[in-house]
Amino acid sequence: MSDIETLKAALKDLNAEYAKIKTLPPEQRGQFGREMNKKKQKILAEIARAEETAESANIEPLDVSAPTAPNQPLPSLKLGSRHPLMEELNRVAAIYANMGFDIMEPFQLDDEFHMFDSLNFPPNHPARDGYDTFRTAENFIPPAHTSTMQHRALKKYKHRLDEGGEIAVVVPGRVFRNEDADATHEHTFYQCEGVFVSRDATMGQLFGILKRFFELYYGQSLNLKTQPGYFPFTEPSAEFLIEKPAQLGGKGWLEMGGCGMIHPNVLKMAGIDPTVYHGFAWGGGIDRLAMLKYHLPDVRYFESGKLDFLEEF
Amino acid sequence: MLISLNEIKKYVEIPSTVSNQELIELIGSRLVEIEEVIDLAPKYKGAYIAKVVKCDPIEGTHLNLCQIDAGAVTAEFSDGETVQVVCGAPNVHSGMLAVWLTPGAIVPSTYGHENFRLGKRKLQGYESNGMLAGADELDFDNEHKAIAEIDPKIARPGDLLADIFALDDLILDVENKSLTHRPDCFGLIGFAREIAGILGIKFNEPAVFENLEAKLPPSTLDLQVKIEGDDLCPRYSCAVFDLTRHESSKYLTREAVFLAKAGMRAIDPMVDLTNIIMLETGQPLHAFDYDKLFTVGGAKTPTIVVRVAKEGESLQLLDGKTIACTPDDILITSNNIPVALAGAMGGKNTEIDASTTRIVLESATFSLYHLRKTQMAHGIFSEAITRFTKGQPAAMTLPVLSETIQRLGVEPLTMVDEYPGKVKSNTIKLTDSQINSLLGTEYDVEAISQTLENVGFEVEEAGDVLAVTSPLWRTDIHIAEDIIEEVGRLLGFDNIPLALPKKPFSGTESSPLWQLKQELCGILSDRLAMHELLTYSFISRDLLEKVGQDPDDSYEIVNSISPELQCFRQQIVPSLLDKVRENIKSGHKDFTLYELNQVSLKSSGLTDEGTPVLKNHLGIVDLSDFYELKARILALFKALKLNIEYRAISSETANHDPYLEPKRSAEILVGDTKIGAFGEIKAAVLRRFKLEPVISACEINLDKIAQLPRDRATDFKISRFPFVERDLTLKVSTVAQFGRFDQAILAMLSAENLIAEVAPVSVYQADPATKNISFHLRFSSPERTLDQDQISAIMEKVTVAVTQLGAEIV
Repeated sequence: MSDIETLKAALKDLNAEYAKIKTLPPEQRGQFGREMNKKKQKILAEIARAEETAESANIEPLDVSAPTAPNQPLPSLKLGSRHPLMEELNRVAAIYANMGFDIMEPFQLDDEFHMFDSLNFPPNHPARDGYDTFRTAENFIPPAHTSTMQHRALKKYKHRLDEGGEIAVVVPGRVFRNEDADATHEHTFYQCEGVFVSRDATMGQLFGILKRFFELYYGQSLNLKTQPGYFPFTEPSAEFLIEKPAQLGGKGWLEMGGCGMIHPNVLKMAGIDPTVYHGFAWGGGIDRLAMLKYHLPDVRYFESGKLDFLEEF
Repeated sequence: MLISLNEIKKYVEIPSTVSNQELIELIGSRLVEIEEVIDLAPKYKGAYIAKVVKCDPIEGTHLNLCQIDAGAVTAEFSDGETVQVVCGAPNVHSGMLAVWLTPGAIVPSTYGHENFRLGKRKLQGYESNGMLAGADELDFDNEHKAIAEIDPKIARPGDLLADIFALDDLILDVENKSLTHRPDCFGLIGFAREIAGILGIKFNEPAVFENLEAKLPPSTLDLQVKIEGDDLCPRYSCAVFDLTRHESSKYLTREAVFLAKAGMRAIDPMVDLTNIIMLETGQPLHAFDYDKLFTVGGAKTPTIVVRVAKEGESLQLLDGKTIACTPDDILITSNNIPVALAGAMGGKNTEIDASTTRIVLESATFSLYHLRKTQMAHGIFSEAITRFTKGQPAAMTLPVLSETIQRLGVEPLTMVDEYPGKVKSNTIKLTDSQINSLLGTEYDVEAISQTLENVGFEVEEAGDVLAVTSPLWRTDIHIAEDIIEEVGRLLGFDNIPLALPKKPFSGTESSPLWQLKQELCGILSDRLAMHELLTYSFISRDLLEKVGQDPDDSYEIVNSISPELQCFRQQIVPSLLDKVRENIKSGHKDFTLYELNQVSLKSSGLTDEGTPVLKNHLGIVDLSDFYELKARILALFKALKLNIEYRAISSETANHDPYLEPKRSAEILVGDTKIGAFGEIKAAVLRRFKLEPVISACEINLDKIAQLPRDRATDFKISRFPFVERDLTLKVSTVAQFGRFDQAILAMLSAENLIAEVAPVSVYQADPATKNISFHLRFSSPERTLDQDQISAIMEKVTVAVTQLGAEIV
């Protein structure tokens, strides 16, 4: 006799026993009924379980490693992808936005004034050569840094200073340099600029914000250090490095960008009194963040349009 | 620039508590970016001074069999008193001191690349242990002339070469770019001064920087200097003296090693000295043959004229090349004949040679703007021009010239100092609180003053105010912030306490466009399974022509890297289309590409700021036909909560999107605003891309969408009462527009106050004249459960509506 038959027989016996309820005094019937019912539920559950096991035993096992059953079409699943560089750019901007920065985007064709003049580059200054700018026949410039938006950001939000507030803007976007592309250089790449102005902005706050950003970005506490740098639009100027985060293997330092206190001339040109307000600004590359994150060997993948590459993300 | 740490230590005493490693880190964090630290110790390991005791020619060869004595080291390589080495150098002779590279040593000139390791070998049957090295093998010279001979006054057999020439050294390869604004640091002395400042030590100025007011000696020779043009040459100092010829030493000199550590080579004693002084002070010097200078042009009055080059002028340089001068070049001329390309290279016509008796030694500084152009135009990248292009301080030309004269031990016949750009002392007044409030520090006045004074600033305290006078060689100090940078940097930016600004909870702004783009990525990549691409903003004229766009309407780059990156794109679709073939070839099928980016057309004009009007576009390229893309476009706008209309393409759109097949394309409208177009790409265009039909594309202006109100849809297809579902097939004329029927049905159901949906099911063409179009109708009343009679009445009205449009119910 199988388990199921034994259980069914037991159920039958139980039902027969249940009939005794009528012979009991009314005050005992409730108690008796509940106990009998409990036993019945238990047997029913055991029967269900035994039946499930019996059914399972007859099922043909499938090949979990196969993509489909024999003679069946392959499942179709069409997936899209987001560009890894845009994801990084958006993430960087989102962290700064959470920290309290407004977002402005750069213009891909700009002019000499926003690229250099408004940033305190003296006319014909050799520092202008360092940016390897492209130029159009009309002398427009595809920006070589996101700092082209500094002057605009200062002017746009100057009213906030007048209202007792501060200017806090980040500028994520595409920039261009006239240099031959190789595994670590692209003529087209992405940067994120930061600009902050208030009555009491200090270099300590600049470093504090940078450290905080990278801590949020990498999800761990880490140290920041600097080395001297030179930019006509900041004074003092520095380059900043972060401690290599654990997810990138730890140990050593990563150069992340340039920063400094906004040059008084830059503030003046935007109509902000540098004797009343201080500001700081910084900028860094996005491509590098993405390359580090994914251990990418070649920066040229980003604008290659290759689906082989994009489908990995 | 290469900086020897041993040389630096001659100018500043590094406290024993600071290790080399710590020192290098401090330099890296407070002065200059260090690209590489080169340790010379392992490079010269195994290089000893040895005496050639015996030297016998090996018959039939140019070789000599030498027995050498390397003092105490001898015993490591030989059982006898000497070690045997075969040497082919013409100057090897018994009694000389040579440099012996022992077996196991790496030839220094190959160190770090081929790493050629010496051993015990047989040459012509004779055992040879290691080698006697030439200056080239020791990496002090480029030419292979002879083996290096060592002056017995400075060394003995068995001495380590490294001990004699201070080669137990670390060389810092510093990133010149990060010192662009600090010409004073392009000399060892200036570099050392900064290191003293970083370590908090008062720098002891060498004499040349102590006495900047050098006096001119009485003149016994006529010489004038004229500078034509403002700012061309802030100062031109020179001296004339009789050339005392010094034979080059036959020995390997400390000077040669000093130069080698800086990446330079010894030439002759006078040139070497001027180069050494340049490396020390940062001030380049140049020597002319005095007599040639003034006979070259047949001048009667010896006058050096500094001026810009004129049209058509040329000059043969010392290296033999003749250059055509550009109007940016500064020339040194005599009687209107160019004799040197200022800051870059001397002319062949004034070269010092065997006949030279008198020298003009020039110590000048020139406009860095001109010299940078000269450097680029003629491709000259010498140590001298590297310094000149930083704008060497005018204050130093004469002091350095005087120092050179003194070290040469000559009496000048005359010295001239033309100084139109006279540097005045610059005093900046600021307060300690000004410094601290910018840095976020609490440095006291004493620390601030000390820090500045350590590197040559003079600080006077008057109440709260510090009057800071910068040394005359600091050309980079102009405003209070420059002083603040010095304080912050020398005391260490990394010592500034970190803080965060206090900001109210006022929220942050991002533009509607930024938000729209974020949303679009979610819809297109995540929901509609498209691939987001980034392609270059600049494309080729060829690509524009392929899609029928006018290249002359694109902003064109005049200094583009290649013709592939010449024109600013007018739309996104052409760039995406250009990526299709390659992806198909690598095995991808059935994909949809999109990109969100900026485009521009010249004909769109300029903004109020005077910059080109840029538009933000979405481009889509889909390996499918019109209807599949249309389904995606509809899904996109449904997700954007935007009600769009679409209609056959207008002739204006056809011009704007010339690659779309007008008969198989539609334009998209929101209300009266046209926001884009989509459709199949012309077969001819596809052929130009070596692509096969059918491919569809869509180009949408995001600026317009970003400005539109996007209310959530209010016509939810939800009802408390059951929905009625009916299928309906209509037989219509082949040419009848599908859209007329579903719109008519929907309009009719809506007019009946029903919550209704009309979904297309199929379009079936049975014969050439007619087609069957099928719909699935779904409707419900918001007020009641519809009974059979009511449903029949509604369906009857539907029948009437479609019959009026010429359809027949099937």
